[in-house]
Amino acid sequence: MTGLVSGTTTDQWKHPPRQRWLYIRDLLQTLVARNMKLRYKRSIMGFAWSLLNPMAQLLVFGFVFTTVLPLNISNYTVFLFSGLLPWSWFSGALFEATEAIVGNRELIRRPGFPTAVLPIITLLSHLVHFLLALPVLLLFILTAKITLTWAVLALPLIIVVQFIFMLSLAYLLSTIHVTFRDTQYLLNILLLLGFYLTPVFYDSTAVPQRFHLIYSLNPMYHLINAYRAILLHGVWPDFVALGLVGASASALLLLGYRYFLHFSDQFVEEL
Amino acid sequence: MGAEIVVRSVGKSFRRYHPERPRTLQEAVLSGLRGLRPVERFWALRDISFSAAPGKMIGIMGANGAGKSTLLRLIGGVGRPDEGQIHVNGRIGALLDLGAGFHPDLTGRENVYINGVISGLSRREVSRSFDSIVQFAELEDFIDSPLRVYSTGMQMRLAFAIAAHAEPEVLLIDEVLAVGDISFQQKCIQRIERFKSQGCTILLVSHEPALIVDLCDEAIWLRAGTLVCHDEVAVVTDRYLSESKKETERRTRRERPAKRTANNKRSVTESLE
Repeated sequence: MTGLVSGTTTDQWKHPPRQRWLYIRDLLQTLVARNMKLRYKRSIMGFAWSLLNPMAQLLVFGFVFTTVLPLNISNYTVFLFSGLLPWSWFSGALFEATEAIVGNRELIRRPGFPTAVLPIITLLSHLVHFLLALPVLLLFILTAKITLTWAVLALPLIIVVQFIFMLSLAYLLSTIHVTFRDTQYLLNILLLLGFYLTPVFYDSTAVPQRFHLIYSLNPMYHLINAYRAILLHGVWPDFVALGLVGASASALLLLGYRYFLHFSDQFVEEL
Repeated sequence: MGAEIVVRSVGKSFRRYHPERPRTLQEAVLSGLRGLRPVERFWALRDISFSAAPGKMIGIMGANGAGKSTLLRLIGGVGRPDEGQIHVNGRIGALLDLGAGFHPDLTGRENVYINGVISGLSRREVSRSFDSIVQFAELEDFIDSPLRVYSTGMQMRLAFAIAAHAEPEVLLIDEVLAVGDISFQQKCIQRIERFKSQGCTILLVSHEPALIVDLCDEAIWLRAGTLVCHDEVAVVTDRYLSESKKETERRTRRERPAKRTANNKRSVTESLE
């Protein structure tokens, strides 16, 4: 095989990089808007509908851990919701992004379509749901008479770090799913375990010291702590931890993206 | 306008796997990670070289499975050749897999935007040619209805109309002219001729030699992944037609004995079971 010299050079975008970038932006905007429309189209209550799942979880966990097995965490509603929302974004988006390649056969086969935007579109669509739910969280914060501080300004940073981490996983998972079609099923099990092993509904200080090292290897642990720091406690997040998570997530993203690109030529063949 | 296409000794192989190749991690683990590697490579295209001068229209013919669509996709940058190189320097428009990204629950209008952007237009370009697209598809009265109320022909008309507004320099067409009724087919052909007169380089895959003779300057004949000839359109179609005729005669003559052996085989396997 003469792998080194073979290739396709298509200068099909003829546009300078700026225009190419504008095109990608249009593509993201249009396809994310498409997902939004499809989700909310048929019900005027579409937005409320999308909140049903986190609200139901909130009710059940709230009842169990304040009444049945009291954890004695102050402002438990805000505490719980500020963990549930980022986790729902994480698990819902990753689960769906795993199918981003397999579920878009006709787009993959289209000349000039940048395959790498597909996982991004799924994550962005779920990010919009996450952002739409934030006002509800704000309502809980105000009801609980928690005062917001300037630390809230760190929110976009935390979201960006979480996005990078999720995207790196999405590239890996969607590529593996092309070959092994039970990846999504296995991911579902891992996400369920992850939900309990990440301090979503309990406080990380309750974790015994000897497990701290293992817990700290979980990026979602640091991210949820950061959300709680700025929203619940009104303090700046642990920037060192956040920086480390950001750096390792970026490295993982580079790896995941290269893995994705390496196999992307085979997607057409395998679908 | 118009761009050159150069295809230099291109080969594309597909991996052929064991029929029991694991498709899930579960099966992979149970089979002890066997059968994950391809058994052999099967060449869908081998040693294909040709070039299309700017503004030329080339017809590609050949039997089913000769590699026509694979060639068109490779030129469009979908997948990578295992051997050789392909150079295309211009914006590629494609009339293959029409209607990618269409969703039945969205209106025609919404689908035009989505499909237009997928086809390589910016949102502003779609807005600019929106009326013209709808007019071309003759769907003015339905454009705000959800796509699920459209007939298949109407959907295809909309898809072709969008693709026809992408202002390509290189156009790849794969058997999509069987779209809609005869008057719409005529309209599609006129549109393609207009692209041609504007200097667009076009590759057309078709099973209809008459269509290729009508539209193309040159023709290419593919057989089992190799290029049989590339010449003036009349020369290639003549050879192709006479060969196809011989092939048909040969097959019909073999038909009956072949059937009998197939029956024999079946009864043998049945008795074994």
